[in-house]
Amino acid sequence: MLLITSCSSDDSINIDEEKPTITINYTEGFPQACEQLVKGETYTFKAQVTDNRALASYSLDLHHNFDHHTHDDQGETCDLEPIKVAVNPFIYMENFNIEEGLTTYEIDISITIPNDIDTGDYHCAYSVTDVTGWQSRTSIDIKIIE
Amino acid sequence: MFYRTLSLWLCFSFSSILFAQDSFQIKGIVANAKTLQPIEGANIIGKGSFSTSSSTGIFTLKNVSEGDYTFTISHLGFTSKTITVNVGNDQETHKILLEESTTALDKIEINGKTKKRERNESPVVSQLVTKEFLSNNRENSLMQTLSKIPGVSTIKIGSGQSKPVIRGLGFNRVAVVQNGIKHEAQQWGNDHGLEIDQYGIENIQIVKGPASLVYGSDAIAGVVDIQPNKVPLINSFSGEVNVLGESNNDLLGISAGIQARKEKWFYRGRITYRDYGDYKVPTDKINYESYIFELYDNNLRNTAGREANASISLGYVTDKFTSETTISNVNAKNGFFANAHGLEVRTSSIDYDSSNRDIDLPYHKVNHFKITNNTSLALDKHTIHADLGFQNNIREEHSEPVPHGFMPTPSNSKERSFNKNTFSLNIKDAFKPNEQHDIVAGINLEYQNNTIGGWGFLIPEYNRFTIGSFAFDQFEINSDLHLLAGVRYDYGQINSKSYFDWYPSTINNANGSTSYVYLQRAQDKTLNFGNISASLGLSYLVKNTTFKINIGKSFRMPLANELASDGVNYHMYRYEKGNLDLDPEESYQLDIDIDHTTKNYSFGISPFVNFFENFIYLNPTSNYYETLQIYEYTQNKVFRAGGELRASTNIINNLQLNASAEYVYSRQTSGPKEGFTIPFSPPLSGLFSANYQFKDFLFFKQPQLIADYRITAKQNEIVPPEEKTDGYQVLNMSLLTQIELFKTKRPLDVKFKLNNVFDTKYYDHTSFYRLIDVPEAGRNISIALTQTF
Repeated sequence: MLLITSCSSDDSINIDEEKPTITINYTEGFPQACEQLVKGETYTFKAQVTDNRALASYSLDLHHNFDHHTHDDQGETCDLEPIKVAVNPFIYMENFNIEEGLTTYEIDISITIPNDIDTGDYHCAYSVTDVTGWQSRTSIDIKIIE
Repeated sequence: MFYRTLSLWLCFSFSSILFAQDSFQIKGIVANAKTLQPIEGANIIGKGSFSTSSSTGIFTLKNVSEGDYTFTISHLGFTSKTITVNVGNDQETHKILLEESTTALDKIEINGKTKKRERNESPVVSQLVTKEFLSNNRENSLMQTLSKIPGVSTIKIGSGQSKPVIRGLGFNRVAVVQNGIKHEAQQWGNDHGLEIDQYGIENIQIVKGPASLVYGSDAIAGVVDIQPNKVPLINSFSGEVNVLGESNNDLLGISAGIQARKEKWFYRGRITYRDYGDYKVPTDKINYESYIFELYDNNLRNTAGREANASISLGYVTDKFTSETTISNVNAKNGFFANAHGLEVRTSSIDYDSSNRDIDLPYHKVNHFKITNNTSLALDKHTIHADLGFQNNIREEHSEPVPHGFMPTPSNSKERSFNKNTFSLNIKDAFKPNEQHDIVAGINLEYQNNTIGGWGFLIPEYNRFTIGSFAFDQFEINSDLHLLAGVRYDYGQINSKSYFDWYPSTINNANGSTSYVYLQRAQDKTLNFGNISASLGLSYLVKNTTFKINIGKSFRMPLANELASDGVNYHMYRYEKGNLDLDPEESYQLDIDIDHTTKNYSFGISPFVNFFENFIYLNPTSNYYETLQIYEYTQNKVFRAGGELRASTNIINNLQLNASAEYVYSRQTSGPKEGFTIPFSPPLSGLFSANYQFKDFLFFKQPQLIADYRITAKQNEIVPPEEKTDGYQVLNMSLLTQIELFKTKRPLDVKFKLNNVFDTKYYDHTSFYRLIDVPEAGRNISIALTQTF
């Protein structure tokens, strides 16, 4: 019984066991670790995503790190400002769909940093899913300055 | 029974006498170890000779051959003793002290059937775990101890907490029953551990298959049934103290229990306290995705914990009537790994490394209060059992307040709290109309009330009422062939309560305007469920072989979180979405169990095939909600098969060898993850153990050396978001002995244990911390002392 069941696993369905990839480590990738963004300016956030089968959706999340609650995965340590209380922090949370069937795609989001928000340490998190439901994430420590 | 065995022994001894060659004799005296009073009527049985002790405790074994001679002294109410003496011309009078056994004999034994025979006759595939197994294999938590049993594994949350997994299914698919009452806590939670004191347990029955017939919803994959302890003997008083020390997490544990009985009244009591520090892993850094967490002194930062438990019970027993009321409380506080909570990487200004014993944020604390009453009344052909229970489970999760999404920084650390009350009543009637039939019919009622608190929302408040009734008949076709057939119907109602965020979320409307809305996360909803369960089994005993076949249908009612959750689980980077249209899970399973046991070896195989019509699981979708991946409760068909193999031999003197293997194959055969396995699938695993019994040495009595070698294969069967886990091999050693310091006192049991002998770095696929690439605990030396009195 054990042998039979363990040998019968040659499924007709070819399952997808690969996660999509996501990176900002190329020339146009934005923002890079410890990047300083100026209030009122418009920036194009760019990241490269790929998948073995088909990409599905992506999201971008910008939130403050005034309390130093987390750090990025870029292997670089940015100088953080002293811990402070948020008054009117910038929050950017958007989800996007990727055109069906693509295996490579460049995320390209234009964001204008508002003038009335708190300056300081921020955290920028990208994430991407594929059609199977695998997800990859990357995050970058940045600053918003006057 | 007594006379039957007596005459059997007499017959045996007479026939043996014919072959006796020399006529030496052994003289002795039997006395009560505690009172030193002589024991009259004790049976002294040796090879070819038999005697009973006189009113002064004196006995003589005649017709004994020269050399080493072994004989057994037994008496009702005392623990039997086997001793070996050297027989020669110069014979002294041997003094034999018998310990009072403190539990009354099983009724089953009086009926002429041993418990083992009863179990073999029952077509239900189950395994009985004894107190001896528990104390010889005791690990840090009850389920870790039980995971040595093939087919049973555990989901560990750090060093001190775990929850049961049977053949790859856990959470709410395994019912844990204590004193007849289903243990009800927040079993659905990833980081929840079982709140049961593992000391003071005598017997656990594990059913590795669908058992809804008797246990109702949730017993769809199996049951861990912690059975009520036996009633103490008349005019007895006994107790034990257990002390445990461990090197890996600097654990110090103490548990003390007593039990006593006058004539009709008896009582028991136990207190347990355990305090442990951060556990050590055989690595100085954790690599999780692109993050690196440096560990200080190999300590898995902030995984310390403590646990304080107490229980008392009072009982009354007569020939026909037994009633025991037990009140217990389990209180625990456990820290969670500080660098990542769930999957979320966290930094903190807390100086976690200043002490390995402090419990900082994030942590959880839990208090489980339980009061149960078990009453049974034996009438002519009926035995009525009633179990009544009330449980209150309060669990709080605390973490450093951090803003998330539109949620501003909360004012306190109480992220989630759950307060759950469960009232249970089970009544059953065991009816024996004649020798052939054992009919059991019963009714189970349960009411749950769950309230929530804290700033994080995951599951709604709910009330749940279930009622079920069942009947089954075990029919003795002949003394070796038994049939069990039963049917059950359950009705359940879940009433989930609405929930609104405590902070407004920003909504960008289609017309360009912006509104700020307190989002509704759960609705007021009443859902009704009904379900039929059934079971049909056959057992056949031939000589030393037992064959069992069982087919059953079980069910599980959807949980409130599966139906109605609608919240962001920031620690897991996901948005969890319930589905009000979920049906109760229905599972069909075919179990076979073949066991062949002789004096020198035993072999067993227990394969199963299982089919879920609508397995519920949290499916990661491709979509986002507020930048978090949406995980939706989905149900689809699942096929599973597998089983366990076990073999043991004691063909070589004093050496016992055991081997076992377990395997489960799971496939989702429909739905969005068709072709994938199901979450938390345990890999193929084998356990080899050798147990060598040494001769007594100095004041060490019955020293035993045990080596356990576990070989686990790589787990390539995963479903998003899991990672593949490499195989591993790990060796554990233990040395058990008794130290007899005082002749008249009971010996001190000593257990010296060395876990993960080679400090192997390995990952357990089903561990909670596996998600963030935390290896299992490193080498651990533990010393456990048990003194009974």
